[in-house]
Amino acid sequence: MPPSDLRQMAVVTKYELLKYLRSKRLLIIGALLAILLILNLVVPPTIGSGYDPDPMTFTSGMLAEIGILIVLCATFFGADAIVSEFEQKTGLLLFPNAVKRHVLVLGKFIASAMISVGAVALYYAVTVIAVVAIDGSIAANTSLSFLYALAYVFGILAIAYLFSAIFRSSVYSIVLTFFTFFLILPIIDSLGASIAHFKPWFTLTFASGIVLDILQQPYPVDVVRTVERTFRNTTRTLTVAQYYPSVPQALAVIFVYFIVGLILALYITKRRQM
Amino acid sequence: MSLTPTLRKSLRKGPLDFQRLGTISRQILNQAQEQIRSMTDAIVTEHLSKQFGQFEALKDLNLTIEPGVCVGYLGPNGAGKTTTIKILTSLLRPTGGKAFLNGIDVVRNPKEALASVGAVVETPQLYPQLTPMEILSYLGQLRGLDSDVIRERSVVLLDEVKMSDSAHKRTGDFSTGMKQRVAIASALLHDPSILIFDEPTIGLDPRGMIEVRELIMQLKERDFTIFMSSHLLYEVQEVCDKVAIVDKGTLLVYDTVANLSNAGEGGVSLTAVEPITAEQCASVQALPNVRSVKRVATSELLITVEGGLSEQSDLLDHVKSIGIRVAFYRPVRSAIEDVYLRLVPEEES
Repeated sequence: MPPSDLRQMAVVTKYELLKYLRSKRLLIIGALLAILLILNLVVPPTIGSGYDPDPMTFTSGMLAEIGILIVLCATFFGADAIVSEFEQKTGLLLFPNAVKRHVLVLGKFIASAMISVGAVALYYAVTVIAVVAIDGSIAANTSLSFLYALAYVFGILAIAYLFSAIFRSSVYSIVLTFFTFFLILPIIDSLGASIAHFKPWFTLTFASGIVLDILQQPYPVDVVRTVERTFRNTTRTLTVAQYYPSVPQALAVIFVYFIVGLILALYITKRRQM
Repeated sequence: MSLTPTLRKSLRKGPLDFQRLGTISRQILNQAQEQIRSMTDAIVTEHLSKQFGQFEALKDLNLTIEPGVCVGYLGPNGAGKTTTIKILTSLLRPTGGKAFLNGIDVVRNPKEALASVGAVVETPQLYPQLTPMEILSYLGQLRGLDSDVIRERSVVLLDEVKMSDSAHKRTGDFSTGMKQRVAIASALLHDPSILIFDEPTIGLDPRGMIEVRELIMQLKERDFTIFMSSHLLYEVQEVCDKVAIVDKGTLLVYDTVANLSNAGEGGVSLTAVEPITAEQCASVQALPNVRSVKRVATSELLITVEGGLSEQSDLLDHVKSIGIRVAFYRPVRSAIEDVYLRLVPEEES
């Protein structure tokens, strides 16, 4: 008899990790990590600007690009995890085994999450070491920022898996994952605040703002100001808004994306035919 | 035994009288008979159908394959062969009907149903980052095999499919044939009772085709139930005990190779040492089982014979008895080919 679902899930995770460890994508993520660290740690002293003496500002500067790293991890390790089994016909080898589809999806998801969390954790570790070495102490709430980054990893991966379950081509799911989180949602966030003056609390990218905002002391609050501008004897009133996600609401949004994305990915994959 | 919805409805209808009791008893008996049959047979499909939009790939397919039998599944492209196999291996869901593997409903309980099944569907691709040994280890662990057993069996199986030399090489650069061999090894890894092959020799070179055919014949001797689809009628006739021919999603015939061989017409090419006379030709034509005689050359005839090997042997005896010195006597078309060509219209095959 085949082993339990849990045991099978562990097997899937193990071999998915092995595949990731031997893939070029991991090398690309490694190279990106190296570039980000070089930009933050090597370039400033080289051009003579030096490091920021305030641990909070230094940490925020170092972690400013963590979002790019997380989006790329989701794109590389989640966006084609399911669709590739159908498109590249490896599913013909895997699916006729005595294993449930949801076990395969969850096993793969755990592997994607582990490799992405590993990359994010490594970046945070180097950041912490660098900040302590240069400024003598770390920014308050760095650990919370790390935990929120992990939550964002899970939320974004679930959506990447959903795209991967829906599309028939890896290219579509990869491109859509990347552009959704790198371009489309950030544009909605930006336009929402600057033009439509609404708080885009419902987008995953806006919610991910807590990763950096939590480092600020005190935690920033929304600012909506009206400014009067006179130009050629005409006075216009402009509204300038700067919104920040509230931590409980942002965590709830990330959680909803994670749960809904993963459940839909599981359901669609189970129904999907080869 | 779980009751069917119809039976449950009948029982809920109210107080029993003799007539209803009789009807319900018959229903219970029929259901029990069906369940016992599907439990004892290796592969059972009941009214299996599959629709892709407007296209009906399978129509009410009823097929029962007993344990230990090797069945060849024939049909033209788009006949429903791969659809049947994909439903049996849980890659597709049927639109209607049921499919059982060792008595377990493959749609309702795919994990349990596939536990004793090894399958190679189409030409599966392998994970390019892994070696054949690692792929077998992955699938073996999913099947719940012990690590030592996986290692031992992987070595033996990769040797059987002639992949020992590449056992520790990553599969990214493997040819289609090499991938097919690894897939066959993976299907045999857990020593299943049922083997399902979809065009097992497709993509293989001539040597590979012969080797895979020999391998399947060896497996047949080890009492596996084998269900294999193929385009190659000769291959099926050589390897299988029974043949199922499907076209447009409908099962046209399902019988033993022996019965089909006797039911069809075989073509025989006869080459004589000397020219064959008109009288000799007429004498051959006059034989009861000979349907037609065509002179291809002065010393060569193409003869169509009704029946199987026995009738072809009788024909040879007669040819010798009328003074024709036979140089070559060989079949040009098997009886199964004849049955196939008669059942499947020309434009499809």
